[in-house]
Amino acid sequence: MSNSPPHYDQAKWTSQSVYEPLLSEKNMTEVSLDGVPLPPNLKRSSLTLPSLSEPELARHYTRLSQMTYGVDSGPYLLGSCTMKYNPKFTEDVAVLPGCSMHPDRAPHTIQGTLEILYTLQEHLATIGGMDAVTLQPPAGAAGEFTGILIIKAFHESNGDFSRNEIIIPESAHGTNPASAALGGYKTIEIPSNEQGTVNIDALQAALSENTAALMLTNPNTLGLFELEIELIASMVHKAGGLLYYDGANLNALLGRSRPRDMGFDIMHYNVHKTFATPHGGGGPGAGPVGVVSKLESFLPAPIVIKTKSGFDLFTPENTIGKVHGFYGNWLCLVKALAYILRLGDRGLLDASAKAVLNANYLGSKIQYEIPFRPFYHEFVASSGDQDAAEVAKRLLDYGVHPPTTKWPLIVPQALLVEPTESENKSTLDQIAASFNAVLTEDQSTLKSAPNSTASARIDQTTAARFPILSWHALDPSL
Amino acid sequence: MTNFPSTQSPYTPHTPADVEAMLSHLGFESIDDLFNIPPPIQFSDSFKIQPRSEHEIKTELKGIFDKNLPLVEFLGHGYYSHYIPSLVDHISDRSEFLTSYTQYQPEISQGFLQVLFEYQSLIVELTGLEIANSSMYDFATSIGEAALLSGRISPTRTKILVPDILRSERLSVLKNYTSNSGFKIESYPTRDSNTDIEKLENLFSDDVSMIYIESPNSHGALEESIKDISEMAHASGSLCCLGTDPIALSILEVPSSLGVDIVVGDASVLGLPNAYGMGVGLFACRSDYLRKVPGRLVGITKDATNRRAYTLTLQTREQHIRRERATSNICTNQAWVALRTAIHAAYLGPHGLINLAKQCIELPLELSSKLDTIEGVHAPSHSRHHFREFVVRTDKKAMEVVQSLEVKGYAVSAIGDHELLICVTDTNSSHIDAFVDAFKEVIS
Amino acid sequence: MTFSIPDDRIYSQSHEWALVDSNTAIVGITDFAQDELGDIVFLELPTIGDILIKEQIFGLVESIKAVSDLYAPLSGTVLEINSVLETEPEQVNDDPYNTGWLLKIELKDLSEIDTLLTAEEYGSQTS
Repeated sequence: MSNSPPHYDQAKWTSQSVYEPLLSEKNMTEVSLDGVPLPPNLKRSSLTLPSLSEPELARHYTRLSQMTYGVDSGPYLLGSCTMKYNPKFTEDVAVLPGCSMHPDRAPHTIQGTLEILYTLQEHLATIGGMDAVTLQPPAGAAGEFTGILIIKAFHESNGDFSRNEIIIPESAHGTNPASAALGGYKTIEIPSNEQGTVNIDALQAALSENTAALMLTNPNTLGLFELEIELIASMVHKAGGLLYYDGANLNALLGRSRPRDMGFDIMHYNVHKTFATPHGGGGPGAGPVGVVSKLESFLPAPIVIKTKSGFDLFTPENTIGKVHGFYGNWLCLVKALAYILRLGDRGLLDASAKAVLNANYLGSKIQYEIPFRPFYHEFVASSGDQDAAEVAKRLLDYGVHPPTTKWPLIVPQALLVEPTESENKSTLDQIAASFNAVLTEDQSTLKSAPNSTASARIDQTTAARFPILSWHALDPSL
Repeated sequence: MTNFPSTQSPYTPHTPADVEAMLSHLGFESIDDLFNIPPPIQFSDSFKIQPRSEHEIKTELKGIFDKNLPLVEFLGHGYYSHYIPSLVDHISDRSEFLTSYTQYQPEISQGFLQVLFEYQSLIVELTGLEIANSSMYDFATSIGEAALLSGRISPTRTKILVPDILRSERLSVLKNYTSNSGFKIESYPTRDSNTDIEKLENLFSDDVSMIYIESPNSHGALEESIKDISEMAHASGSLCCLGTDPIALSILEVPSSLGVDIVVGDASVLGLPNAYGMGVGLFACRSDYLRKVPGRLVGITKDATNRRAYTLTLQTREQHIRRERATSNICTNQAWVALRTAIHAAYLGPHGLINLAKQCIELPLELSSKLDTIEGVHAPSHSRHHFREFVVRTDKKAMEVVQSLEVKGYAVSAIGDHELLICVTDTNSSHIDAFVDAFKEVIS
Repeated sequence: MTFSIPDDRIYSQSHEWALVDSNTAIVGITDFAQDELGDIVFLELPTIGDILIKEQIFGLVESIKAVSDLYAPLSGTVLEINSVLETEPEQVNDDPYNTGWLLKIELKDLSEIDTLLTAEEYGSQTS
């Protein structure tokens, strides 16, 4: 078997001016509302939407699915997204009849649902080393925001109203400062040191009596383990701040180290990353938050507790209130629990072990430079003289969903690669061969890529200069 | 992978030979050598979570779910479900859709982008507003995002007006979204399940950023004065935000023509079955606010062959670029739920949507008039047009009625000492007569 | 890559330029700035009559990959805005010193002119 990478051709239908027509271009129907039992001043006069039969819709959507690419299609290297395989049996669990309850059901009538939530709370707490968990935040960023609100409530309960700053490394994911800002905090960014990890001097300079918290992910977005995390924790705690763990990279550490033991007071988990729930084209996910006991009373309401007679909903004494209208993204939570039960201790440990093995093996076979090491489950390569965004477009032709590009900024022309534990050795060899092929290709080849995806290179400028966001804007006659 | 040892994840495909070859290539003896975690923070204990097989888990979880009482639910209060056609599951479960992520590489993601564009277009048709994003988390958080948008539009105004019957959960989420940006939430009175227009007038000032109204509201009633309210709002320089859902919108007067500036809600009434409160946040607004809108937007463009194509656009407003000055911190949203909503709406088409909405009016009329014949019951307790649900007054204490109905196999909500909220849709309409009989027995 | 830095104007550290004519000035962003930004898609500019204060943010420029604040090189009152940019923001990329001008202002304090950089000074700063 040669080392030249396979080629990928995405299925599509092509006509002169479009790939797949819009539904609005197939039988738009205007229906009047004469028969509707409402007075004329309360109802619209007509509704205009596409009207198609089921066979036509089945074709339309099947074609669209063929022009989409998922983890099941091929390698998906987006860094810090943990695009691991989504086990199919978890989908079946999510449609079990008892799974579909209305959120206003009285607790004593849904002991099964509450037991599922309680069990997941407990397992996540154990995995992170935390004392209590809320499952309510509907995404990682929502978990960060929840954490920020808890941090704020904690300091204020101590009469500490002057702590208005959150320290965040430059290399942090954009949701960190965005969530901090939503919580009314000022973000203090600190640079990395030469090894790519937290710059202790910069941290010391940034810490003050205004520090509410430091937000970190470990391993960081370069894939490096923060070896000085215990020192960092003690510095932050000494300054009176709390330490927040962004769980995006937890897949590197399952069963080997727990955020609590590193000194973190509060963390979020990303169930769509670490716990394998499907990413769904952009969600839904879930971002449960775990806390140490001194923060427990601030958790969002309600959490599930175990009582003598079963399970119940409990409102923590100093709760911050709610961060979702009900209980969070319930279906994602069920799938995450199913995954944890399937893997168990050893399986979770193995998932991390293989994730780290895969990243290291892939990193060793790729010929692009990787300036920061030793890395865990992800690494940042630099495409050097080649533009990272162009490299990404060319990788698509090899059937490899590209890594995150041009971020973190500390590496020029960054390619943040996370293969996850789902790849085997031969696909890793193929991925490496794809990168190495692109490395040898000239600028015009990169610029004309991609050639075999459903569409050719997309014009981003036109999209942003003249935004057309609906079929109405496309065709004003509609 | 059943022949792999149970010390492995069933989803890591490595053979022992693979692992050996990879380690040998790296020059390491064992995978442990790849980790440099300082010893004091190494975890060498067990989580004490036993792994199980698929079959064991399905059996175990089914057994747990069987502990839920199989009550027939007449529950709503802002969260509803309808029959979902099979097409929705079979399309949305296609693994290209299900296992993909945000369309950062549009060339390989044209399919999902087009579905989201069609979803946006559906919302634009229903609301009459020019911009719809491709999803937020849920109803409550969408209200929060609308408030923040109003703050970006009028930075000197700090008050948000909300109805006094707003679900407390939504109020709590709204407070969390806005209190750190200097907002104050003030409630305005409703009377007989509609906005009290006279009292509302006094509450407008040049400090009000946005008024939030709901139709149908928390009591299932349609708001009849939306136009008056929006005119009042605009006269004092405030925005008007309406909370609703796509089935209601398929028959209600178009919000944009009533002067509504922002529409929010839960679109999962289409596409998602009862899911313990999980939904998808609907968000639409006027084109003037384009550069301040939260969430992802799919736009049209062309590709290098000059064909029409789709892409995420205006991403510079989002967190991954704008960071602490982003329009929102949202990253992962509810895209796959929006996909299901779009498929369900396409399946129904305009005729199907209108028929479904008609049922949402006719079924409450039928049930409320049957309940009203019972002595000691007054239904509906408000003389309004109802959508899916209505308030019922009982001489008996509401909680007693709730408990007795539960014994008979029905779940309903009490919203006052003598008031219940009863919701009926196509999912429970076949139980109407039995429910009425049970109600009769419980009241006497 | 060599960027155009015309001699007839003065420059700020934050990559804006000013072309002074007695007590008014035309303001824009430099060739270096437009290149850094990439394809410009939108500009948020003040309205006529607004006051600019030196080194404070007076607007923003949005490209497909970034959003950048615009800092006033000099203090003054806005007299005119280049309205062509509403429909043709790409003029700032194509011709940042002429058709891509942003504003014309009436200067408040002529002594501020001396605090800005000459073409040569700006050139050595950006190399």
